[in-house]
Amino acid sequence: MINDFEHFTPKTLKEALALLAKYGDDCKVICGGQSLLILMRQGLVSPKYIVDIKGISELSYIKDDKDGVKIGATTTHRAVEKSAVIKKKYPVLAEMETRLASVQTRNWGTIGGNVCHGDPAGDPVPVLIALNATLTVAGARGTRSIPVENFSLDYFEVDLKDGELLAEITIPPPPPRTGAVYTKFNIIESDLATVSVAASVTLGAGDGVCQDVRIALGAVAPTAIRAKKAEKVLKGKKITDALLKEAGEVAATETEPISDIYASEEYRLELVKALVPRMTKEALARAKKA
Amino acid sequence: MKKELKFKVNGQPYEIFVKPKTLLVEVLRDLVGLTGTKRGCSSSSCGACTVMLDGMAVKSCSVLALQANGTEVVTVEGLAKGNELSPLQRAFLDHGSYQCGFCTPGMLMSSTALLTENPRPTKLEIKEGIDGNICRCTGYNAIVRAVTAVVKGEYKEAK
Amino acid sequence: MSDYSVIGKRVHNIDGTEKVTGSGKYTFDVVLPNMLYGKILRSPHPHAKILKIDTRRAKRLVGVKAVVTGKDTLGRKQGIWRRFPELCDEEILCRAKVRYIGDAVAAVAAIDEDTAEEALDLIDVEYEPLPAVFDPMDAIKEDAPQIHEGVELNININRHIEWGDVDEAFEKCDHIREDKFKCSSQAHVCMETHDAVASFGHNGKLEVWTSSQSSYYIQRLYADMLDMNESDIRVTNRHTGGGFGSKFELDSAQFCAAILSQKLCQPVKIVLTREEEFTATKRRTPMYYFLKLGAKKDGTMLAKEVRVITEGGAYTAMGATALYLTGFFSSFPYKYPNYRYDGYRVYTNTATTSAMRGFGAPQSTFVGESQIDMMAEDLGIDPVEIRRKNGMTPNYEVPGQAFIQSCGLHQCLDKIEEHIEKRGKLPPNHGIGVSAYGFMSGGIFNWFNTPYAFSAAVVRINIDGKVDVYTGTCDMGQGSNTTLAMICAEELGVRLEDVRMFSGDTGICPPDLGAWGSRQTLMGGNAVKMAAAECKQQLIEFTAAKMGVNIVYDLDIKDRWVHLVDRPERGVSYFDIVKEAIRGKDGVAIMGRGHYTPHRKGMISPAYSFGVQAAEVEVDPETGRYKLVNVTTAHESGTVINPVGIEGQLEGAIMMAGGYGFCEDQPMDEGKILNPSIADYKLIRSLDMPETDILEIDTYEPEGPFGAKEAGEGLTNPTAGAIGNAVYKAVGVRIYDLPITPEKVFKALKEKEKQQKKAKK
Ligand SMILES: Cc1cc2nc3c(=O)[nH]c(=O)nc-3n(C[C@H](O)[C@H](O)[C@H](O)COP(=O)(O)OP(=O)(O)OC[C@H]3O[C@@H](n4cnc5c(N)ncnc54)[C@H](O)[C@@H]3O)c2cc1C
Ligand code: FES
Ligand code: FES
Repeated sequence: MINDFEHFTPKTLKEALALLAKYGDDCKVICGGQSLLILMRQGLVSPKYIVDIKGISELSYIKDDKDGVKIGATTTHRAVEKSAVIKKKYPVLAEMETRLASVQTRNWGTIGGNVCHGDPAGDPVPVLIALNATLTVAGARGTRSIPVENFSLDYFEVDLKDGELLAEITIPPPPPRTGAVYTKFNIIESDLATVSVAASVTLGAGDGVCQDVRIALGAVAPTAIRAKKAEKVLKGKKITDALLKEAGEVAATETEPISDIYASEEYRLELVKALVPRMTKEALARAKKA
Repeated sequence: MKKELKFKVNGQPYEIFVKPKTLLVEVLRDLVGLTGTKRGCSSSSCGACTVMLDGMAVKSCSVLALQANGTEVVTVEGLAKGNELSPLQRAFLDHGSYQCGFCTPGMLMSSTALLTENPRPTKLEIKEGIDGNICRCTGYNAIVRAVTAVVKGEYKEAK
Repeated sequence: MSDYSVIGKRVHNIDGTEKVTGSGKYTFDVVLPNMLYGKILRSPHPHAKILKIDTRRAKRLVGVKAVVTGKDTLGRKQGIWRRFPELCDEEILCRAKVRYIGDAVAAVAAIDEDTAEEALDLIDVEYEPLPAVFDPMDAIKEDAPQIHEGVELNININRHIEWGDVDEAFEKCDHIREDKFKCSSQAHVCMETHDAVASFGHNGKLEVWTSSQSSYYIQRLYADMLDMNESDIRVTNRHTGGGFGSKFELDSAQFCAAILSQKLCQPVKIVLTREEEFTATKRRTPMYYFLKLGAKKDGTMLAKEVRVITEGGAYTAMGATALYLTGFFSSFPYKYPNYRYDGYRVYTNTATTSAMRGFGAPQSTFVGESQIDMMAEDLGIDPVEIRRKNGMTPNYEVPGQAFIQSCGLHQCLDKIEEHIEKRGKLPPNHGIGVSAYGFMSGGIFNWFNTPYAFSAAVVRINIDGKVDVYTGTCDMGQGSNTTLAMICAEELGVRLEDVRMFSGDTGICPPDLGAWGSRQTLMGGNAVKMAAAECKQQLIEFTAAKMGVNIVYDLDIKDRWVHLVDRPERGVSYFDIVKEAIRGKDGVAIMGRGHYTPHRKGMISPAYSFGVQAAEVEVDPETGRYKLVNVTTAHESGTVINPVGIEGQLEGAIMMAGGYGFCEDQPMDEGKILNPSIADYKLIRSLDMPETDILEIDTYEPEGPFGAKEAGEGLTNPTAGAIGNAVYKAVGVRIYDLPITPEKVFKALKEKEKQQKKAKK
């Protein structure tokens, strides 16, 4: 049963921030509600006030400019998935979206809501980490930006202070000769990830050396994480199968997976070892083609 | 505490006062009286409550009714034109795409939304289009066959 | 065969337009004037004494109209095995003790669901937790807590089946295998959860709308529990949003709604939440299986010994039947000359296990078909060949148990062999696994102790020639109304659109045991056919008299034309004859009655259907993840009455049985089900669904209506075994416990690698 609450529908970001400032702790933001309503129904969250930002049109956009592509927080998953710009510049992001939940959830749920929900098994965050994205957070006292990889703090906890809202996601233009991929391991195709891996590889001009690599993992720690040590194994080298295998082994040491009804801790580790090399190799192949 | 919700359902305008916590499915079933839309889980997992909102498939158990303010909702009751069933409805009949029928309204709404957006989906796209809907009876393939038949033009739209 | 005019045709289900327009009313949609909403308070403890229930705070909540506990009931216990009172062990609203997490202790009726739910929080129950036991292997130990008074070692029931001389036969075998398996639980996951609207009137009569597979059972069990006359209770099943074996026992929604309504004389509606559906309704029986199988070098199987321990959960329910059937179907579909089965159903402090589509046979088929593949490999024989060598044939008697008339198993094996050959060389890490099966067409056993015929029907022809069929059968989505209407139309010689079905309403339909054990087509069908034949006979007699037909001619009706069999052009319109016949009978509609109870057909079922399935999987050896690529089934179910219906049953069965093999499970911690939501309980969705192909085999079952038999449940039997065998063919690992998850496959692959390395050293 959902408890009663008071409902506000601000029309602008400014109005929303004012409402948040006014109601503070007793107040919760709702956007698509695809995650929040489940928590409210279970009684895990029961706010007195709800600030509904779904209708703030100034936060729903996909813009392409010189700093990269900017996605407003209330942009739906489906809009990201269908965006021509995204498909062209960051195909991995659109591909990820096609496997996030179902069409219905993507039609109403938003990428901003997903990132703020802080689910370590969520799909967008690992991809955004691999793409080196930055978040713009708006508060009563102005805005701040924060790399997406630092945003999640713990299970379902993100770096939002009282009165703050996620306003925008910025993805920098991909460097030349970059390829990025994402996969999630699950048993039912459209399900949440048991383990997920995003990888982005940038090759040096002409020499085939891995100039940069970003590897992000989901569902193997309290937050999505970046496997920096594994990246180090590959960075500045010509990628071989042996190095990839090593990167997988190293990535596994960077995780802290749990056992749950979907998979044991050991199995999750093994999946990281199998999938990190496989996905990095695919990213490499894409980089070569780029 | 109640707030006004103005929206259209199957073309008919409604003005209804609802508590903010009211879900779209509750308005449709309990206040508008359209019980074709079902609920199988109330947690966004089964798709039985799927309706079209401004042309998009959404799970009405997971949309606050007030968020539908100003929108146009279509439910399974809105698919037929008068006494003419829609092409998908006829194809479902011919292909045995329902058994107990409890998932069927949701399946029809997901398929209708899919074809509205993409009139020529591939088989994989059809499967993706109904992947948010559980059917415990049919095993889905008969539904995919029905949608495929409509895509192939075997069922004409009623005038 | 082809001179049928209705049977075998591809038709729309007769309730199809209601279903595709959303206009069909389910119990879930029923709203009555003055109706209240009920909710049920359930035990959070797996095993506890109820010391005190204080409902005062709840009763004071504005909007609450009644709160009931076990004290408001007659304190009776119910169960489906009514012939054995000691097996009727479930109070539904517990008075002194709760036995699983989810056992009902109180119920509330209020003006809306939210208020009722709020009231649940205000009921104070004082429990004294008792030691609990969850695994049947622990529950049969001497020192295990006793779940039901006086039941030693928690053994609820045991079953023994034996023929031949098993011990002697094993001595003659060239090769013997002994294997252990474990079959998991499974939830029915009907899309419409259990629900009921009960309305008790001031006239002392009870009317109930409920989603059910057997209105008659529910009516009878209500009568037992409320001490009422059957006839004062009317149970109506409207459209039912799925059953799969979960909806023919009196459940907590039905019982609590009635008790509340009785108190208030107001209608009360209870719809179980999805979480309750997962935790507080019945489920498939988990089983420990110990198998011993002996064969000659040439693959002839001489003896099989089966021992089974099943997790019963808190109450008997239909679990006792599952225990019996898993034992019987462990011999299927083969001719074991010597066979012994010992099964024990053990009470545990977990949700009750009972009937679910296949009823013990999916378990026995998984373990049996896994083991027979292992035996074939040991002996160096092809899996299809070993099945052929031992498979049942028509007119086979299962010694002392059952007589099998029609049986198309061998044709099915041929078809599947062809399919595998056609598929040719498979890509790497693909494998095709085979699994053979059989199933019954309705049970002969009468543990329910009904004095009525197993099936009955009334057919009435109205003045306009339209036909009404009244039958106590229940259409839960399997399409029985359509199949029965087709049988009626064929028998009577009218068109399908001339027939209207009234089913599952105890107020107007003759009793029928309902839709379980795959009994509707054969048993319900025979009853309808007989009733239709009686009507037809009256019309024919009338026509013969009217036309002054020479006595040497036979008359028949086909496609609304009453005519001479040998001179079909000589006849009259069915509609005209009906009009005149009714007028001639002083205005009385033409009526026919039919019934069916199997006699002299052994102890199990009057008929059996058979099939063979081949599942193809593709395994990713690095992760153990596999995909179901294709499932091809060669299947025989006698005359196919409703082909669209059979295809649907088959594909639906693959979704469910594939899920049983692949991903569905109910993991528990101290009796608590850990995945009670559709998000966490993994179900095959459209993207996971394999391609499905059907190879239909013609057979004719003399006992069935127009030669038809079962085609619904049996199809759930083979898939888990076929998947297991396919995974083995693909990557060489055998999984002994369901479901066959990627993690288990991965671990087995690692283990195999380790063994191989060891062997090399
Ligand atoms: C059946 C189902 C399956 C799913 N499967 C997947 C999956 O496979 N992969 C996946 O990644 N996700 C999945 N999800 C999660 C879901 O799709 C997303 O988390 C969802 O889209 C979140 O967006 P929303 O707009 O609905 O957020 P809401 O539910 O409205 O909000 C989520 C949280 O974020 C906060 N919030 C929302 N927007 C903002 C903002 N702009 N600023 C600050 N705080 C904000 C809210 O207060 C709340 O705490 C699934 C969900 C369902 C119901
Ligand atoms: S009821 Fe809405 S998704 Fe199940
Ligand atoms: S037809 Fe029964 S759930 Fe789909």
